[in-house]
Amino acid sequence: MKEVNDVGTIRLTVPGRLEYRDVAVRAVAAACRLARGAMGAGWTPSEGLDLSSDFDAKLVSAFSEIFNNIVLHSYGLRHGDIETVMWVSKDGITLQMTDSGTPFHLEEVPEPALDTLPDHGLGIHIAKSFIDELSYEPGPPNVWRLTKYAIPASEQASAAAASHAESDA
Amino acid sequence: MNVPISFSRTDTDEQVVLRIGGHLDAVTAPELLPTIDTLVDEKPSKVEVDLSDLDIIDSSGVAAIVALYKRIRAHGGRVSVTGARDQPLAIFKLLRMDRVFSM
Repeated sequence: MKEVNDVGTIRLTVPGRLEYRDVAVRAVAAACRLARGAMGAGWTPSEGLDLSSDFDAKLVSAFSEIFNNIVLHSYGLRHGDIETVMWVSKDGITLQMTDSGTPFHLEEVPEPALDTLPDHGLGIHIAKSFIDELSYEPGPPNVWRLTKYAIPASEQASAAAASHAESDA
Repeated sequence: MNVPISFSRTDTDEQVVLRIGGHLDAVTAPELLPTIDTLVDEKPSKVEVDLSDLDIIDSSGVAAIVALYKRIRAHGGRVSVTGARDQPLAIFKLLRMDRVFSM
C-alpha cells in the first residue's frame, strides 16, 4: 500500500466471534467515510450503518464475508482474535486481517454456480468480486489483505492505456 | 443480546408480506428462521419479501432468503423481493439474484 497522502492507520482487535462482527463492520464503514472525505467527497458523521456509497458497500461487504469466514471456518469452535489494520488514504483503503486459526487453500475454493441459485459458498466470491486486490497467506498466522481503490483498477488500466496511446501518437 | 434486525409479517387476501429491516447476516439470520418455518408450513401462494428497511446483508442473509424462496416454490408458491437498495441491492445484483426475484 502506498504511503503517500495517508489519512491514517486504524487498528482494531476483536475476539473471533460473530457477536463482535458488528463492531468491526462499523469500524470499517467509518474508515470508508474517512477515505471518501480524503478523496474530496467530504466527511459527514453517520449514526447508523450508511452503505449508500458504492465504495463503502463493496468494501464493507468483502470485509464482513472474510470476517465470517475466519470465525466460522478458521476458528470454528476455538478461541482467537481477529486483528484488523486499516490503511486509509485518498487513493483507497487496504485492510489487513490476521487470525491464528486453521489455514486453508484459497485457490481450492470453487466458484459458486450462480445459475443454480446456491445458498452456500458465496462469501469468498463476494469478497473477490468487490475488491480490487485480494490476497491470503496461510499460516498461522493467516493474513488476508483487501485493497479497494478510489478509482477502480479497471479504470486505472484504461486510463494508463489511453495515456500510453496518446504519447505514441 | 440485542440483535439489529427487525421483521414483521402482513397478510392480505392476495399475499403475505415479510418485511426485514436492519441487518440480515450470520448473527441475525437465525432469528428469522422460526418465522420462515411457520410461513413455509402455511404453504402461501404468494410471498413478498420487502427489504426497504434493510441496511446490510451478507451471504448468510442471502442464504436465508434463497432457502425461503426454494421452500415456497417447492409448494407451488411465488416469491418476490422488493425494496432492496444500496449494499443489499449490490449483493443481489452480483449474485444475479435480482433477475430470479424480479427485483
